[in-house]
Amino acid sequence: MRENSLIESWLRGIAIAVVILFFMFPIVWIILMSFQTNETILRIPPSVVFEPTLDNYRALITGKLETNAASLDIAFMRNLGNSVLLSVGAVALALILGVPAAYSFARHKTRFSEDIAFTLLSFRFAPPLLVLLPLTIYFQKLGLSDTYFGLIWVYQLICLPLILWIVRGYFEDISEDVEYAYRIGGHSWFSTFRKIAVPLAGPGIAAAGLLAFIFAWNNFIFALVLASADKQPVTVGALAFVTASGIQYGQIAAAIVLSITPTLLLALYAQKYLVEGLSLGAVKG
Amino acid sequence: MSGLDLRGIVKRYKGDTVLDDVNISVQTGETLVLFGPSGAGKTVLLRMIAGVIDPDEGQIIVHGRDMQGVDPEDRGVGMAFQNFALYPHMTAYRNIASSIEVTEKSKQKLDDAVQGVARLLKIDQVLDHAPRALSNGQKQRTALARALVGSPSLLLLDDPLRNVDAKLRFEMRIELPALLARQGTTVVYVTQDYKEAMALADQIVVLNTGRIQQSGTPADVYLTPANTEIAQQFGDPAINLLDVTPQQDDHGVYVSLSDKKLYIDSAFGPWCNTPCVLGIRPETLRLSTVASAASIPASVEAVTPLNEKTVTLLRTAGGRELLVSRPAGTDEDLSGQVFIEVSNESVMLFDKRTGSRLDAHQQEAVA
Amino acid sequence: MSDHSLASPPPKRRFRIGRRVLPYLLSMPALLVCIGILVPFVTAALYSLQRYRLSQPWARKYNWGENYLNFLSDPSFWNTLKISLVYAGTTVTLELFLGLGIALLLQKRTRFNNFVSIMLLMPLMTAPVLAALMWKLMTNSGFGILSYMVSLLGIQDFRWASSPDTALLTVVLVDIWVYTPFIMILLLAGLRSLPSQPFEAAALDGVPRTFVFWKITLPMLMPYILTATLFRLLDSIQQFDIIYAMTQGGPGDKLTVFQVEAYLNFFQSTNIGRSAALMMILWAITFVLSNIFIKNWLKLRERAR
Repeated sequence: MRENSLIESWLRGIAIAVVILFFMFPIVWIILMSFQTNETILRIPPSVVFEPTLDNYRALITGKLETNAASLDIAFMRNLGNSVLLSVGAVALALILGVPAAYSFARHKTRFSEDIAFTLLSFRFAPPLLVLLPLTIYFQKLGLSDTYFGLIWVYQLICLPLILWIVRGYFEDISEDVEYAYRIGGHSWFSTFRKIAVPLAGPGIAAAGLLAFIFAWNNFIFALVLASADKQPVTVGALAFVTASGIQYGQIAAAIVLSITPTLLLALYAQKYLVEGLSLGAVKG
Repeated sequence: MSGLDLRGIVKRYKGDTVLDDVNISVQTGETLVLFGPSGAGKTVLLRMIAGVIDPDEGQIIVHGRDMQGVDPEDRGVGMAFQNFALYPHMTAYRNIASSIEVTEKSKQKLDDAVQGVARLLKIDQVLDHAPRALSNGQKQRTALARALVGSPSLLLLDDPLRNVDAKLRFEMRIELPALLARQGTTVVYVTQDYKEAMALADQIVVLNTGRIQQSGTPADVYLTPANTEIAQQFGDPAINLLDVTPQQDDHGVYVSLSDKKLYIDSAFGPWCNTPCVLGIRPETLRLSTVASAASIPASVEAVTPLNEKTVTLLRTAGGRELLVSRPAGTDEDLSGQVFIEVSNESVMLFDKRTGSRLDAHQQEAVA
Repeated sequence: MSDHSLASPPPKRRFRIGRRVLPYLLSMPALLVCIGILVPFVTAALYSLQRYRLSQPWARKYNWGENYLNFLSDPSFWNTLKISLVYAGTTVTLELFLGLGIALLLQKRTRFNNFVSIMLLMPLMTAPVLAALMWKLMTNSGFGILSYMVSLLGIQDFRWASSPDTALLTVVLVDIWVYTPFIMILLLAGLRSLPSQPFEAAALDGVPRTFVFWKITLPMLMPYILTATLFRLLDSIQQFDIIYAMTQGGPGDKLTVFQVEAYLNFFQSTNIGRSAALMMILWAITFVLSNIFIKNWLKLRERAR
């Protein structure tokens, strides 16, 4: 019996080690790579012993890629800026649109409001290209094709259902009596929303916002189809960068590291809410 | 002047009628107690008066003003909730002040009002605490203070003592009447506790499954309950209910208790040979160690001394169980065989089929 | 009932929005977004019924069901359908088993397990495109660490995503790397929310652990498994990012799943009618799946409240 459990705990330990290795290795490897010169990257056999260099990051940040042949411009920092702008804008708009709607859906359940809520939810699962393809044509006609706003608006496809359904759950958790008490105390519907409902749902709203930011940041297809070159976020930019820079592997790695760092940090910060966010409020962590 | 008038209030939820044609009138300054089991519709009714739920039919008139379409914030009522409903992100002070901050622009006056009501309710020491740092009793007092601070013309109290411990409930039951009288406001008080109802009410309305079962002064409800259910709910120990069938002989109408004939009002004649229920309040029974012509022999089963009274469980020869309540310490200890004297003036008779009390003088069932 | 604004005047005069109207007013922006998205949806549906090529704008006309009818005899459509189903089926099945296994490993609430489960979320928080690029670097034939490791095993010239034989395997591997944590974290939350009494009772009675797993754990976990699986299936059948970033649908038409095929149709062959018809078929599949999903999801959500 004891021997059995000893073997078992060994097996468990090995299994967990394999799991950690498989899931963490690519991230560790890319980080190591980003601190190497092309020379050490191309060594065979590969080795973890190398002299770290910041050249790759320096090249990305200054926007100048010095090769033996020529000096190349890199627009990567601009992509990073675009990602920040698009994601922040999309989350802000989703919060402005979604939080009041979530409140009204939580407190005044009608056929109509449920229909809207479920329609928004179904957008989350519809193939994005279905609406993106006609939108490329509409955007050209409407003059939105070269604007941040057009993209931010399309990002609502992922941000709004998330905000709406998570925040709605938090509003539903607030005791109605607390809101009634405030209204009877002489406050209007709107100030009850502002002073009672929003502060009490605050942590949920913040978490939903962070998650929406992560999903917006990680999105690829919207910008690939709709964004002009100077509006592209890192996801599209990194792919273009790979094609453009050819064999500058160190810089590619550094670009990837810079692109994934914000979402990984935010995920660590919001990890308590991740389960709820990933399941759109169906499972609480 | 009428402080509150409810006329023909009807409310339905998904096909269920939760309030059915409720009519109530309360005079200004009076305390109305809404009494009934949970699910009776008391809380819904209270929320309608506050304006957070709309009735499907009927009128709500507060101090002569029709409240149709008036938002809760414009009704000038104060309300305390059963679960306190304090704002968790505000201090006790902010909680209380929130009730008057919209109308009271002077900081000084606002502060005076909050401090005043806090002193009255003995929570002036904890005003800077957040609700989670308050004891249950302090929470309850904060919730009351929040309802009282604006001196509302109509005060709605939804079972405010429900969630506090027995000791505090006892204290508050003594304090509240004075507090309410001092305010001089019209009060609607919801409770499931008959002692609270008796202690506070000018008028009691007994609700059950959305209908008014009885409405009257505490004495009315206690002495002439509309049915067996109300008779049981009011009174501790509960009323003795015995199945009987009235009979008539040369001396009048009587019911049989252990072969003894207990003569009751002859006006009950029409119910002879109908199954009935006899109601006898435990405190109206007298016990004696010696037999008399009318007294019923019984054996003592259990004696429960309470603070102010002693409750004795008796069993008659016929196997009926009876509770007797006597003031504590006034009687010698009883055991074994005793004799029960029933005063025929204090008994009530109910229709067994409907449960309604039979009124000897109206010749028909009340309610 | 008369309009309530006609009731006796409120003590203060101020702008009042009827309380019946306000909820609608607040959900209006969300409604407008809905409409804004439904318009292109209808447009796409119309495109799918047209002969519409950007290269031949003069020939644009309604051909009604022709785009769909053509699919019946179009081997490349059947290839798209097949590869999409294979991709979704393989990834979701493997991820489910792996995710369940890891969730069981980490079930106990210890600091170490919590730390590991947070670490494992990192791949999921990485943009799938960037994940694909990372794996592309790792499988680079020149210096890729994975290529090197495979060569150590004696397999020379293993070409990963660029070989028709191993392309599917490679993208599936990336998908597993990104999305297994999704299933793992949902099932872990599910496992940890299960009531403990049945397990304690079984332990007291000395019930074998395999029996406990099959007869207690698995049935109780079923709603979570179902929701996680359907959720993943809905996303996986629409996979675009990973495949597009790794192979752009190649080599050849080896990985032309629905969205990749529609994208290539639209932007490369500029055959808008066919592209839209492909998307409509994918939409029909996801519509059915999402209806089943939402039913399960609502039940879970109800339970979490």
